[in-house]
Amino acid sequence: MRINQSLTIICLLLLFGILPGITSAYSTPDSIVAAGKVYVASTTYDPGVFFTGDTGTVTVYVANGNSNQSIVVNHATIGDKNIRLTSSPYDTSANIGPLQTQAFTFSVATDAFDGTYYPTFSLSFRDADNLYYRAVVKVDNTPLELTLVDSPDAFTPGNKKTISLQVANPRTNNVRNVVLQVAGDGINATPTRTFIGDLAAGSKVPVNFTVTPDHPTTILLTLNYDNGDNPHTVTLEIPVVFSTDKKQANPVMSNVQVKTDAGIYHVTGDVNNAGLETANTVMVTSLAPAVPQDPYKTYVVGALKPDDFGSFEVTFTVGAGNTSIPIQLSYKDADGNIYNTVQDVKIISSGLSTSTEANGTSSYILPIAAAVIIVIVFIGGWALYLRRKK
Amino acid sequence: MSPSLIEVLTQPDAFFSKIVTEKESLKIPALIILAGGITAAIYGYLMAGMSAKMMADLMPGMNTIIILSATAGALIMTFIFWLIVAGVFYLISSLFKGKGSFKRVLEVVGYGYLPQIAGSLITIVAAMVYIPKITVPTLTTAALQDPAMVQLVTKAFMHDPAMIQLTQITTLVSIVFLLLSANIWIFGIKYARSLSPRDAAICVGVPIVLYVLYLTYNLGVT
Repeated sequence: MRINQSLTIICLLLLFGILPGITSAYSTPDSIVAAGKVYVASTTYDPGVFFTGDTGTVTVYVANGNSNQSIVVNHATIGDKNIRLTSSPYDTSANIGPLQTQAFTFSVATDAFDGTYYPTFSLSFRDADNLYYRAVVKVDNTPLELTLVDSPDAFTPGNKKTISLQVANPRTNNVRNVVLQVAGDGINATPTRTFIGDLAAGSKVPVNFTVTPDHPTTILLTLNYDNGDNPHTVTLEIPVVFSTDKKQANPVMSNVQVKTDAGIYHVTGDVNNAGLETANTVMVTSLAPAVPQDPYKTYVVGALKPDDFGSFEVTFTVGAGNTSIPIQLSYKDADGNIYNTVQDVKIISSGLSTSTEANGTSSYILPIAAAVIIVIVFIGGWALYLRRKK
Repeated sequence: MSPSLIEVLTQPDAFFSKIVTEKESLKIPALIILAGGITAAIYGYLMAGMSAKMMADLMPGMNTIIILSATAGALIMTFIFWLIVAGVFYLISSLFKGKGSFKRVLEVVGYGYLPQIAGSLITIVAAMVYIPKITVPTLTTAALQDPAMVQLVTKAFMHDPAMIQLTQITTLVSIVFLLLSANIWIFGIKYARSLSPRDAAICVGVPIVLYVLYLTYNLGVT
């Protein structure tokens, strides 16, 4: 009996001795205090700001603020009805060492509209209660801005024109892989694709491209970019309508004078730019039937700013039968397009041309008629005189 | 007493009727021809200036040669023209059995040249007015190697509007004053070769009218 009583007492003593030990392996005042020093250091969303429908990741950095005690966590998750968790929660134990930080990364998706959302991150401690944290994130559907900065006043067939654009990021997060694509029926664009790369929040970059249209059409600009790993697109259409450029350079020949020297015609004059843009590489030369000759087969006047002028001289020979010669004036615009204008210059014909003979005949009729009349008067006078003498 | 030279112009019939009564003398006719030659030389000098300018680049002194030869040539050609005209009249009048010496024919032709001096003076004035307006092309040595180029240059020169007008004016003036001379020559040949007015008119009129028609033709083809 005594033995049984003694065993019972021993078992009770052992039981009471073990229970505190068991209890100390779960919640103890110390572990609760230690868990209180665990905190969420930061959260990072990628992308930083979501579009509706975007998927991404969120990384929660949990720091152990205890300097001499590790913390064991065994469950971590995040999400709510707007920011849905698409990956599995953390269901395995992890040890966070003293003064160490542990990252917990989750995949999330959202179908929410524009706004700020607060999905809850929860972390369960093995030896304490849970940690809850609201990881704020924004959903913003503001796209990138594709702005037409400068375009030509008028397009003309076959002439290259430069179009200037601006790509701006009004969002509060960076976007990646920004690419501008130019397309359109009947146009030749250079470059057709422009890689811009990353575009920081609130920044802008200029983009220029040239286009040579064959016929009236529409230029389709497509701006592709990635918000995180989610592709997005912005488009812009630029109509191409052919018309006269009111500002284009307009070189005009004046004070044209023609001289001949050893059978070579020298045409001199001035070229005035009556347009509003600079005429580059202004050149003057003679066209067929003229045959350009040295020393001035072609005269390069150079660049003429608006209202500026320059002198020129061209030399050529011309066969018989020509009373005027086409003089060609060519220039280039800022895009290198070549424009030609032709002006006929009257020359003194060196041969018996048809037109000259037509004019010449009329100029000869009068003196010939006068000579014939004088002869007739002379003969008639003498005939009359002789008749009277008889 | 010798008749007045003015009478040649106003009353050639009376003038030559008196002249034939005197001994043949070429002194005054030669002076008239000389005066005509000098005016022709001045005109030749002006025209040669343009030709010299055209060929100035060919060789040094070329323009001097051209001007001297043109001036002297015009003077000499006037005397040769005197001889030719007299010879033609003499030959044609011979067909009409004309009598009288060649020297007498030379004498009357010389007197008849008087209007042409006035004509030459007018052409000099015309030349002085028009020559500055004429664009004279310059022949280079290289251009001279190419006959087509020379032809081209010459045509360009001759078809200059001012040159054309000058040619027309001088030709018309020459025709008018040549016919005035022919009028005098008819009376002169009548007395110098003892011909009827009709025969004298034929002797002078036919070659002169033919020459005038030739000048008129040249007006159209210049």
